[in-house]
Amino acid sequence: MIEHQSETATSLVGLKELFTSATHDASAAMCRWTNGIITVTLDEVRQVPLETVSEAVGVGDALLTMVVMTLQGELGGALVVMFDEANGRQLAASLLGQEVNAEAEWSELEKSALMETGNILGCAYINALTRLIDRDLYPSAPHFIQDFGASVLQQALMTQAVLSDNVLLCEIAFHRQGGRLDWRVVFVPNPALQTALAMALHALA
Amino acid sequence: MITATTGTTTQEALVGMGQIVAGKAPQQMRAIVGSCIALGLHHPRLKFGVLAHIVLPDSAGRGGSPGKFADTAVPQMLEIFKQSGVPTENLTAKLAGGANMFGSSGPMQIGDQNVEAVALALRRAGIRIAAQDVGGNHGRRISFSCEDGTMIVESAGQPTRTL
Repeated sequence: MIEHQSETATSLVGLKELFTSATHDASAAMCRWTNGIITVTLDEVRQVPLETVSEAVGVGDALLTMVVMTLQGELGGALVVMFDEANGRQLAASLLGQEVNAEAEWSELEKSALMETGNILGCAYINALTRLIDRDLYPSAPHFIQDFGASVLQQALMTQAVLSDNVLLCEIAFHRQGGRLDWRVVFVPNPALQTALAMALHALA
Repeated sequence: MITATTGTTTQEALVGMGQIVAGKAPQQMRAIVGSCIALGLHHPRLKFGVLAHIVLPDSAGRGGSPGKFADTAVPQMLEIFKQSGVPTENLTAKLAGGANMFGSSGPMQIGDQNVEAVALALRRAGIRIAAQDVGGNHGRRISFSCEDGTMIVESAGQPTRTL
């Protein structure tokens, strides 16, 4: 048991190093995309009990605006970028160089700006993971969703939930000119991708 | 994890993924579901209810929390009724969830299978489904009352439903 806990801790440390490096690439991409305004840092790589995952991630029962990218195929996973309504609108407005839209409905242009943000972040992470494991990953097109954050998170966690009551999450924080923003990115690798990452990390050690 | 909350406050208990929570009126429980199923069983006369947040259709012999799988959650819920001295005859069942959140893409589009598995488990237990709000591609916030067994279902951009 103690040995298993130690292995898990070692694995989390390795994954944290890996995702710190991937986040560096993602941050550079975000910085270019937002004209130097937004950067990202790795917040945590951790295992969370399934039953408390929504509270642990801090989505509660809030309605959120999200962009989801999934990895298709055996090495799968999901990247979920989450904003509350106000923050999502603000990001879209700043990317489009417009005033914040007060209409209830999101315009196609606003949706597109947020989806492209998800795409840029997702591709930066996927490229970094591909380099490490030396295998191809197949990302989906970004998907715009306005719904309960917990509902979307559940779907992203399904492949891990089959095998375990604990789930592995990588959480990323956004910053604007040094200040932390209340936006969230959660990356959930499926068990096959976790194994591939662990093997790659082991080979590097 | 199974939490038996039989207090007398009206505080809502949040039922997380794979959890089963029991309570007596005026207790209420709430859950947020996407592809998962919120299954509420209720004894009308004794005003006793149990809510499960079911994640997957079939345990296939795997261990773990019994509330996580449809085939193990329903027997466990009935066991909680028995342990609480509540008869399992004349229970009403209401369920919500079973959506496919990422449309046709994405990992494990399992909402439909979850709905079928819960219906099968209830059929095997001889419990009739009184009402349900399932499917689609949207999440649901549900509130379940131990007072009268009503399940209130809220969805983004849609009218609230009372089951």
